[in-house]
Amino acid sequence: MVLLLTGVVNATQAQDLTIAGKVIGAGGVGLSSASVAVKGTQRGVTSSQDGVFSIKASDGETLMFSAVGYLPKEIKVTSSLTTLNVELQLRDQQLGEVVVVGYGTQRKRDVTGAVVSVKENELREVPVANLQQALQGRAAGLEVQRTSNQPGGGAQIRIRGIRSISGSNDPLLVLDGIPYEGTLNDINPDDVASVEILKDASATAIYGSRGANGVLLVTTKRGKAGEPRISYNGYYGVGQVANPFPVYSSTEYQAMRDISTWGQGYLPSEVSGRSKGQNTDWQDLMYENSMRTDHNLSVSGGSGGSNWMLGGGYYKETTVLPGEDFTRFTLRAAIDAKVGKRIKVGMTTLNNVSIANGSQFVSGSPLFRMMAMSPLVAPYDSLGNIVPTPWGNIDDINGSGRYSPLYLQTDDPEWVDRVRRLRTFNSLYGELDIIDGLKYRINAGFSYAQQHNAQFQPADIVGKPSFFRAAQGNIASVENGETWGYTVENLLVYDKTFKERHKVNFTGLYSIQENQSFSNYVQKDSIADNFVQFYNLSLSTPVNSNNTTLTGGESRWALISYMGRLNYGFDNKYLATLTYRRDGSSRLAKGNQWFDYWAASLGWNIADENFMKNIRQINTLKLRMSYGTTSNQAINPYQSLGLVNNSNGIGGNAGITRYNFGPTIVSGYNIITLPNPDLSWEFTNVTNVGVDFGIFNNRLTGTIEAYWAKTNDILYGINLPVTSGVAGSYLTNIGEMENNGIEFTLSSQIVRPKSPDGFSFGADLNLFYNNNKLLKLNGSITEQPGSQLFVGHSMTAIWDYKKLGIWQANEATEAARYGSLPGQIKLQDRSGGADGKPDGRITVADKYVWGDQDADLQGGLTLRMAYKGFDFSSVLYGRIGGYIISQIHQPFAAYLTVMDGRRNTLAVDYWTPTNPSNWFPMPQAQISPVSDAWPTLGYYEGSFVKLRSINLGYNFSKDWLKRISARSVRLYFTIDNAAVLFSPFFDQTGIDPEGTGTGSQGVSNPGNIRGGGNGSITIGLTTPPRRTFTFGANITL
Amino acid sequence: MRKIHYLLLLTTIIVLAVACTKKLEEEPYTVFSVDYYKTPGGFENGVNALYSGFRFIFGPEGAVGLGTVGTDEFTYAEQPRNGAGGTQDFLAMGRYTLDPAVGSILTPWNRSFNSINLANGLIEFEPEVNLPPSAKTTYLGEIRFMRAFYYLNLIQFFGAVPLDLGSGDLKFNQQPFQGFNRKDTVALLKSNYDAIIQDLDFATKNLPDRRPAGAFRLSKAVAYHMLAKAYIHRAYSFARQPDDFTKAYAAATEVINNQAKYGTALQTFYADVHRPRNDYNSEILWSIERIPGNLIANEISNPSGIGGNTKGVDAANDFCGDYTAVRAPLNSSTTVPVSTRTVLYGRPIRRFCPTPYIINNAFADRVNDSRYEGTFRTVYIASTTGGGFTASVDTAFVMALSNRIADSLNGVQPAGPRLKPYRVIAPREFYFSGGSIDPAVTRNMYPSISKYEDPDKIEANNQGTRPFVVAKLSETYLLAAEAALNSGNATAAMDLINVLKRRAVNRPELSESQRVARYDLIKLTSSSQVTLDFILDERTRELCGECSRWPDLAVRGKLVDRVKLYNTDGAPNVKDFHGRRPIPQSQLNNTVDPNPAQYQNPGY
Repeated sequence: MVLLLTGVVNATQAQDLTIAGKVIGAGGVGLSSASVAVKGTQRGVTSSQDGVFSIKASDGETLMFSAVGYLPKEIKVTSSLTTLNVELQLRDQQLGEVVVVGYGTQRKRDVTGAVVSVKENELREVPVANLQQALQGRAAGLEVQRTSNQPGGGAQIRIRGIRSISGSNDPLLVLDGIPYEGTLNDINPDDVASVEILKDASATAIYGSRGANGVLLVTTKRGKAGEPRISYNGYYGVGQVANPFPVYSSTEYQAMRDISTWGQGYLPSEVSGRSKGQNTDWQDLMYENSMRTDHNLSVSGGSGGSNWMLGGGYYKETTVLPGEDFTRFTLRAAIDAKVGKRIKVGMTTLNNVSIANGSQFVSGSPLFRMMAMSPLVAPYDSLGNIVPTPWGNIDDINGSGRYSPLYLQTDDPEWVDRVRRLRTFNSLYGELDIIDGLKYRINAGFSYAQQHNAQFQPADIVGKPSFFRAAQGNIASVENGETWGYTVENLLVYDKTFKERHKVNFTGLYSIQENQSFSNYVQKDSIADNFVQFYNLSLSTPVNSNNTTLTGGESRWALISYMGRLNYGFDNKYLATLTYRRDGSSRLAKGNQWFDYWAASLGWNIADENFMKNIRQINTLKLRMSYGTTSNQAINPYQSLGLVNNSNGIGGNAGITRYNFGPTIVSGYNIITLPNPDLSWEFTNVTNVGVDFGIFNNRLTGTIEAYWAKTNDILYGINLPVTSGVAGSYLTNIGEMENNGIEFTLSSQIVRPKSPDGFSFGADLNLFYNNNKLLKLNGSITEQPGSQLFVGHSMTAIWDYKKLGIWQANEATEAARYGSLPGQIKLQDRSGGADGKPDGRITVADKYVWGDQDADLQGGLTLRMAYKGFDFSSVLYGRIGGYIISQIHQPFAAYLTVMDGRRNTLAVDYWTPTNPSNWFPMPQAQISPVSDAWPTLGYYEGSFVKLRSINLGYNFSKDWLKRISARSVRLYFTIDNAAVLFSPFFDQTGIDPEGTGTGSQGVSNPGNIRGGGNGSITIGLTTPPRRTFTFGANITL
Repeated sequence: MRKIHYLLLLTTIIVLAVACTKKLEEEPYTVFSVDYYKTPGGFENGVNALYSGFRFIFGPEGAVGLGTVGTDEFTYAEQPRNGAGGTQDFLAMGRYTLDPAVGSILTPWNRSFNSINLANGLIEFEPEVNLPPSAKTTYLGEIRFMRAFYYLNLIQFFGAVPLDLGSGDLKFNQQPFQGFNRKDTVALLKSNYDAIIQDLDFATKNLPDRRPAGAFRLSKAVAYHMLAKAYIHRAYSFARQPDDFTKAYAAATEVINNQAKYGTALQTFYADVHRPRNDYNSEILWSIERIPGNLIANEISNPSGIGGNTKGVDAANDFCGDYTAVRAPLNSSTTVPVSTRTVLYGRPIRRFCPTPYIINNAFADRVNDSRYEGTFRTVYIASTTGGGFTASVDTAFVMALSNRIADSLNGVQPAGPRLKPYRVIAPREFYFSGGSIDPAVTRNMYPSISKYEDPDKIEANNQGTRPFVVAKLSETYLLAAEAALNSGNATAAMDLINVLKRRAVNRPELSESQRVARYDLIKLTSSSQVTLDFILDERTRELCGECSRWPDLAVRGKLVDRVKLYNTDGAPNVKDFHGRRPIPQSQLNNTVDPNPAQYQNPGY
């Protein structure tokens, strides 16, 4: 209020001019939060997110422009000056920028490790539901692979490949300095000011036992000094299925069915449809428009060293199928307050509630029917009623998945499929300046998360078919889980420059973190009436099948750490960093809990050397080198203990081992895992070499980085032979793995604007590759097909028969030698004989690693253009090389290419005597005499280039802004998931080359797909991706 | 002021450091270790787990197929696919193109050794368990019986299997053992049988005489039965001992001759033995239990799923022909009166269909001998109303007992009007050849096993939920007869078999004199009629569809002979080495050995 008044008072003085414009920083982009002040007065404003400002001044006064990391600039006001675009030069070349590092910040020119920053304005270039999508293709070394098309769905994030077989390869997530146990999905992308990606050991060793997978430091927005300002960012978008699944038309369906083994003819409904020329496109009938909308409002300000910010957000997304949506509410506040001269305190609170509907059993449920139901059957009868069971065979009409998916559209949904998450993350800090250069800081973080999963599937009642429970009664379940955790960190920081040349910074830390979670689940059937849903499970009918399923679980872990880091810089040219950390973890067995980590790095700012002064084209040149050790927490709580429990591995509502003697029901306890007191972490040693450069007046800036990482003591879950008497796998620290790669980042300002309204054109490019190779498993063992592990190959290796094509008619004699007929799958006979030569039989000896899922090269390209008020950007993302595992093409995984004539099929090109296809076999009883040949139909080339988004924005002119007294208004239009520019898979009935999940998603598991947390990325039958057209606005008042 | 700052700082750090080291100790609330088995409740729950483990092996499709397909009795039907692997497993089994990667062989392999190890552990923990000695003795009898039975079941399919799981023969293993103790299969098979017989012998001495009337806990009766079976199996193997058949005879007749003591007796009517809701009848010595209709108690999470990770009785559907496609009253009609599946008839999943041997040989006499009708469903009631049929009331079609009956009712011979309003399908129209399609006549309908019909399951497509019979007194008679025959006492064998023949003629509608008259037509009159092949035929008549035919033939060395004779799908390919199933590929993949292939059974 005081600040507002000050503004008003100031405004009443004699400033007759309003100067509006834009502050432009590196790369030609608008600089947010740049300070614009009138020299010698108290008047000042800060620029908006796009760099736009507007300030009142008088003729003859001087405007001062400044921004963190940039050289200040002064411009004199003249009466003719109304529009002003000011370009600021980077301080200390580009290296004056400050980046967030673990437990502190550093000038970029002092950084000796591998750190990439993705700033707010870049994150905003693609309107997204979550941060992981915003990060895809945006930073070298950061691989983001989509694993879900669900609203609010996830992605697999890997920094420089993977290094653990059984443990998590997810990077450590640190939010505002405190390790965050939630997921990126819990963070509103609009709250984020920057994301730093720590890649090498020098940068991550301070996170010790959790640093090996890289670290994502997420920093949220905070208040800044200046008058209170109100910002609104929001958009609304409408989407459609980017590409429907190609299936056979009714003519093609009949052709396939007639050639297949199907012998039961057409059902009466099909015969009637055929006579009418029926060709039902079930997908077309089912797909709706999707919707996405986001609204964020924040107020911030600050004065006298104390800043504040309050904000709230609302996000909602629906998909193209009924019953799936995602909503998120966020609320946050950040306060930094100065108490006296020596003390600073602050807090941040980030709260969100998200509600996902349809993610448990509704999602994807109609898809199989939409693909497989008969195109010959009309969707509605002559009275306009839904045809209940529009299948082409009696089995499915009688089956449990019998009903038409159209019921999903018409049903006033009686089902409930809801996941509600609440997460509150709060951090407090206090900082005390003890003596000059010495600071003590305490950070305390507390987080609490609650998740509530509710499900209700209504009963199938005559006249009211239940899509989900054909011929069954209703069923309901509720699950409640909570996780709480705290972190306390004590930091001592000493930062001083001696004799103007020796810059010393020491950071010491003692911290403790503890986390506990537990959950309870209850399921009940025969609920008295559908309207009760899951709200009171005791209201149920006592019938024979009336049963209650209960499950629950608890887990707790703690981590205690000590850390010390010393940075030393001489003359700003020669830099060194030494890091030590000691971690003790509860997850390990007693006597085996503590481990030490070291890292060292050197940097050399070559451009500052005298001998470089004459080379004017080179503005920046820095060489960095680092080496160090980290590990990852690949062991779960209680994993070192042997487990005995009552789980029968069946899962679902019958997952408890039971038996009965007559009517007496008893339970049984089995041995699940062996005890394992020797478990320890997996240690990764990384060498990193990097060069940062800026040339041609920093018009081209970039980084080239190379690394070699070797991971030892890899926890390897040996799949013990079942004859060992304990089912499941046994973890041991025996493996070795290597990752190496090169990363290249280039930021260019190809056309710099000649005038403030002039044309500018810039591009950011990142390209990288990572080679992953398993070096050692267990002794001399080179293959463990049971665990999909192959020494000398990548962790994503595909081990299978090699499909050569389809046996052609003129190969009948050769085919017969393999017991095959023309039209069946032709597999490579590679080995099996005594000398390892082909033996004329297809046996398991013919399986080998003939490829993997890794990209040979991947990266992203962002193009930006601006002219007058318009700005344009587009983001491309691509991967070259590697294979895709498409389970929708594996006949017995998705049952969409079985081609036995019972159901419609993906529109693949199958072999017939007159159609010598080499892709799919002839529809017949046996597609190969080899029982496990069918997975070979699911491998496709994985290369693709996608145009992820196209954005066009318009910044309103200052005249117009003045009329509505706004600081800045930008309207924009975006198309995301705009186009697949290149993808071989796309041409082979794949609808999208990105994954839809991990592990086997099929009914039948092909057996060579890695499951679990490090599961292979696979394509299954899920809600297809949308192409969304979005209108949005960024308004600052 | 400054000093206070330092003091505060120091205090904070020290307090935190001291208070927190205790945080590194794990104190789980919900995780048990093997010590749990040393408590009375844990010990008991361990025994329950051993019982429950058999649910994987008796009922689910993989195990049903393994014991059924590619025999003289059954071949694969029109949908020879297996739910677990998604492959045409049963086609491969039926044609003897089976390879070690086929999923269906995994069921007994993957589901036995963990129970065997648990049994080893329980035996070792028993002295520490605080239970009354008598209770412990009974539990030990159960544990050792089940360990033996897991082994007996395994070796009948795979030959020798490890006794040493990593910590020594029959020792509880807690080592991450990656080897595969199956090198000298000759010596190992001998040890396997020795262990089995010792365990079963212990069980015959320490189990209660009889099972509870309404439950299937293990008893001496089933222990003797299984001991007889073990001796007979060994007698046909290279591990045979000279007195195996004698001992088998003694064990089997112990039960037969003391039926009152052991609480067992034959049912009057064969059809009652497997009749729904008569699961606890006196003839059944032991079944793997389930509670009809109770999915949770039966550990069925996906009742309409097939195979794979399940403990339900897939056998209830696997043998069903496609009754939902049969047209009536004539083949040319458009009405399909049973087009809706019924709970009783089950899901016509069409995995296994009988070979012609069933009709032409084993059950050649379907009139005097009631066992055909006690084994197969012959009458189907309409399930949809229309075309002159009323659902649940009218007979839709029957699978006639003989061509003559069909011709007569159909007015073919003697020529005349049809005598019935429903369709009468003659045996000559039955569909019998593996995997072929019969779109015209019976539309993939063949005689379907009725022994697993379950009126108490919830939905037609569901797996069955009845106890699965493992041992019944009639088989004890057959084991005794076989032992007698092979010990040179064919007359005793004949007498034992005639007991079953006498029972077989019983039908409720027949008078005692009619029964005797029929018995005279089918009984054995000369001991020379009793041969091993005859006993195998008789086993079909008593045990058809009970999922043990394949091992019954294999352990007796009769598989190749009889498949070549009776099963046209298997005949071209079946070879001697097929008498053992392959060791599953996953076992070899997981075995750490330079040459895992050496552990494979010969021929694969």
